[in-house]
Amino acid sequence: MSLATLVLSLADNKQLLGLRYAEWAIRAPSLEADIAAAAMGLDDLGHSRVLYGCLEALGEDPRGPNRESDPSSYLCLPYFGRPWTSWSQFVAANAVLDTAFSVMIQACVEGSVDVLRTRLRKMLNEERFHFLHGRSWLRTGIEPGPLEDAWTQAIEWFGPPQGEVERLHREGALAMGPAELLAQLEERLETTAPVGPVDWSGWDEVQRSTRPMVIDDRTFAMLRGLEERRYHPAGT
Amino acid sequence: MSHGFLRVHGRAQEYEVFARKARAEPLRMVGSVVAPDPDLAAAYARATYDEERWIEMAIVPRDQVTTLWAPGEESEG
Repeated sequence: MSLATLVLSLADNKQLLGLRYAEWAIRAPSLEADIAAAAMGLDDLGHSRVLYGCLEALGEDPRGPNRESDPSSYLCLPYFGRPWTSWSQFVAANAVLDTAFSVMIQACVEGSVDVLRTRLRKMLNEERFHFLHGRSWLRTGIEPGPLEDAWTQAIEWFGPPQGEVERLHREGALAMGPAELLAQLEERLETTAPVGPVDWSGWDEVQRSTRPMVIDDRTFAMLRGLEERRYHPAGT
Repeated sequence: MSHGFLRVHGRAQEYEVFARKARAEPLRMVGSVVAPDPDLAAAYARATYDEERWIEMAIVPRDQVTTLWAPGEESEG
C-alpha cells in the first residue's frame, strides 16, 4: 500500500461520511443538530475533494475505470456502506470515526510530505467543531453496538502494528503509526477503546478492514451522480 | 430515527452568539443557539452562523447576561 492509496481511503471514507451526515440533516434530534449535520456533511465532502486533489501531486492516482462499475473499488469502511438507521450510529461515527480520520490528517500535516502538510492543515480547524459535536453527544449516552463497531473499524482502519502505516511512520511521511494514532484517538475521547484486540489474519490492506465493504445500490448510484441525473428532464 | 433522544434536551440552555468580520468592528449579536453544554453550543454556533467570513465568534450563556434595562424601559441617559 502506498501513501496515495491511504489518502484515497481517507478521501473515499470522508466522501461517504459526508453523504451520511447529510442524510441526517432533517432527522437529527434538534434543529441545531440538523444544521450541524448539514454543515459537517458539507465539510467532509469538501475535504474529500481536497484529498482527491492531492493524489496527482503524490505521483500516483490509484483510481481506475472500475470506479464506474465496481462498488468495491471505493475504499470505504463497512460502517458507511448503508444509510444509518439510528442516531447512535451517527454519533458513534461523528465521535470515533470522524476523529480517527482527523488524527490521521494530523499525522499527515505533521509528516514530511509537502502537499499533505500544506493542503490538509485547514481541515483540522473545521474538524475541531465536528469533534466537539461528536464528543458532546457521545457523553449523553448511546447504544453500545454502534459505538463498539465504530471503535473496531477505526482501529482496523489505522492498520496492523507492523503494517504499511507503521512503515510510512518510520519513513517520516506520517508523524504517527497505528499505536500512536490509537493513543491519540483515546486521549481525545478521554477513554480506552471498548473492544478487544483485532484478529488481523483476515484484514484487507486496501479496504483497511477485516470485513468486506458492501455499498448498497442507491449509495453507489449517489457516488456516481446517477441519483441526481434521475431528476434531469429527458433529453438534457 | 431518533427514538430515545429528546428533540430539545432537558438540560439545554440558550447561548447568545456574537461575531465580527473585521478588527475595526465591534462584536455584535448575530443570533442564538440552544444546547446542553458549551462544546455543543460552539459546534452549533459555528454550523448555524458560518455564512459570513467572521474573524471572531464567541458564545455567552444567556443567563450570564445581566440586563440593565429591557425593551420598553428607558435608560436614565
